[in-house]
Amino acid sequence: MSDMGVIVKTNARALIPLIGVFGSYIILHGHLTPGGGFQGGATIVGTALLFLIAFGVDEAKKRINKDLYSALEGIGGLVFLGAAMLGLSVAFFYNILWHKGPLFNGRPGTLLSAGFLPIMNLGVGLKVFTGLVSAVFALALFRRWKE
Amino acid sequence: MKRALAFLSLMIIFAALMVALSPGYGIKFGLGGEDWKRYRYTDDYYIKHGLEDVGGMNIVTDIVFDYRGYDTIGEATVLFTAIAGAVALLRPWRRERNE
Repeated sequence: MSDMGVIVKTNARALIPLIGVFGSYIILHGHLTPGGGFQGGATIVGTALLFLIAFGVDEAKKRINKDLYSALEGIGGLVFLGAAMLGLSVAFFYNILWHKGPLFNGRPGTLLSAGFLPIMNLGVGLKVFTGLVSAVFALALFRRWKE
Repeated sequence: MKRALAFLSLMIIFAALMVALSPGYGIKFGLGGEDWKRYRYTDDYYIKHGLEDVGGMNIVTDIVFDYRGYDTIGEATVLFTAIAGAVALLRPWRRERNE
């Protein structure tokens, strides 16, 4: 699989960290600003797409561990479910961290507020990122066209 | 013949939808004032009480992750199933791996 020229590669080296930091910002501030787990995860997938297109499939095949990404997707879903079950003594999805929890109950508008919402955003972001990366690489590694 | 009937039924459904969407007969767009209180009382509750109930400044995240978290679980499950199905269907075929 042919990859891009030197300008595209250099620009990709500069842009991939920026896109990753911006996506992480969207995920971390999901309870304060527009965005959240799904949107931020889909933004970070842009880094993987740029890496795949700029550096080629062969380079990506050496660096992407399929089992790790599958496991991380499951862990993201489990983090979401675990945060939902924190307040199981009252009800499912009871936001016990916000009402009387030890942390994540700061003043609304600060980063450590809103109970389990940041934890859920992190879990969903991890899940969306690893899942979409797995799907895109499965597509990229598909068997070649006939003729 | 079959295709003409299908097109005709599509036209009938479209016309019925247009009647249902007309402001004089069906639903209204751009609600405000008294209509907001009558038809959008749930949104009114979320906007007024979301901050103290959940604690997040982002009302959409409050609703999606706290008030209606089951929907988000279902959404994540749909995503998980879609990824699993795509990856499972896109594996290389056994005959082509050998050649």
